[in-house]
Amino acid sequence: MDKIMPKCWKAESKPDFFCPGCGHGIVLKQLGYLVDEMGIDRNITFGIDIGCSLLAWNFFDFDTVQTHHGRTTSVMVGYKMAKPSRVAIAYMGDGGGYAIGLQALIHAAYRNDPVTVILVNNENYAMTGGQTSPTTEVGVVTSTAPAGKLAKFGPGFRGPELLRQVASKDAYIARGTVSNPIQFKVMLKKAIDNQVKNNAFSFVEILSICPTNWKTNARDSFARLSEMEKFFPIGEIAAEKEVK
Amino acid sequence: MNRIKLFLAGEGGQGIQTIAKVLVDAAELQGYQVTYIPAFGVEQRGTPSTAYIIIDNKPILYPRFESADIAVILQERALSLVKKHVTPKSKVIFDSSTVPAKLIEHANKLGIPATQIAATQFIAKSFNILIIGKLSQLLNLDENLVWDSITKVLGKKFKDEKVKKLNLDTFKFGRSAIFEVDHFSKPVFMPMKEKIVRKGFGKHALILPERCKGCHICIAKCPVAALSKGDNLGVFATAVPEIDLEKCIACGNCFRFCPDAAIKVEKDKSAKE
Repeated sequence: MDKIMPKCWKAESKPDFFCPGCGHGIVLKQLGYLVDEMGIDRNITFGIDIGCSLLAWNFFDFDTVQTHHGRTTSVMVGYKMAKPSRVAIAYMGDGGGYAIGLQALIHAAYRNDPVTVILVNNENYAMTGGQTSPTTEVGVVTSTAPAGKLAKFGPGFRGPELLRQVASKDAYIARGTVSNPIQFKVMLKKAIDNQVKNNAFSFVEILSICPTNWKTNARDSFARLSEMEKFFPIGEIAAEKEVK
Repeated sequence: MNRIKLFLAGEGGQGIQTIAKVLVDAAELQGYQVTYIPAFGVEQRGTPSTAYIIIDNKPILYPRFESADIAVILQERALSLVKKHVTPKSKVIFDSSTVPAKLIEHANKLGIPATQIAATQFIAKSFNILIIGKLSQLLNLDENLVWDSITKVLGKKFKDEKVKKLNLDTFKFGRSAIFEVDHFSKPVFMPMKEKIVRKGFGKHALILPERCKGCHICIAKCPVAALSKGDNLGVFATAVPEIDLEKCIACGNCFRFCPDAAIKVEKDKSAKE
């Protein structure tokens, strides 16, 4: 039998609820294979946010918590406090993580709470029709910026760099992209290891595509993603040597 | 016109709400009283999308209704939604190229193979324009007024004259189309249920149309252009990729990038040794 999908995916819920060509599927596939590899499918708790990420509510065959908008990090931090032996993963979009839930994210990083946060950044609020989000770059046309985002509203929010300023030096912070699944899978593995072994905070932002709201086909989606990769540098963001 | 209660049911992404908006707009321009309630689930493709429309000469006091005079079914998965609104008197209009006629138990059924006509003669996306054409003719709405409404609602999408002309042709074809009454077209635009297995050149490929949503990321990501759009249809009635195993180098990119776990190519184990 061909292993066409990860074992921890729930076969009955496929085809899933994501739009055709959604980057969430690519991220969750690598996460699924990682969970299979690490053998933690009975030991994981997966918290999902409001937004397109909530459509993963029945995606996996492991424990999933649907949380309030932007409060995924907080819920998973509390859960991890109550059950330290579990692997707590918070999964959210850029709207949930950088707009409504930024304070929860910053404080989790600041306190070095042992949770893993995976943030999928597609530069818009996709579920409600592609409005401008904090990460939207200047000049990008969205449904609330028909002439392109103006420069006075900021250049596009770089979350991992911000978290690096406040996070402990033990925290693992990185940025991946769906155009390189092998690379971000390694990042996710390091992030989960950092939670389990070092008992520290870990954060991975993954740049993603949104063909529905970008109004692009597969080829153009990845072309725009490579433009995004120039603005948002890919890679691990190491702590500065002297952190007081 | 006496009161007409119209119920449209289909899937998110098909253009149900566009059909409703155009019909309502045209009816209002013609001086009728109208109400329109859209009803759909989470904002995504592939979930039920319905619309309740009432058109009347007199003011309408309550926009919702239980029994429809005309029920329109545009996707097989919307069948269960329609059942509670159909009475023996109502007309059931369905897309005979996507909905099997035998599944509709109602006697007063009228078929129109809209998806097939749009895909073969015009462009697949203009399928809802064809339905607008037929429904507006059925409701005795003025042709020019309806076309004005279409350009008003879809104006931005008609970027060049070619697309506009093609849509106008589809619309006119829709107005003159005749319903199938006793003999219906075969539902050829049904998603394929079986697995596609291809073997040869020391490789084997497995494609699952029941999961393929037609994003074509695999085609864009194939380094040797071994994948192309095939003839089989996936879960959203979009083209499933077809593989040329002679060109394929079994790099695994299609499998790695497929968001829906619908494709996998592997080298045969015996060939490796």
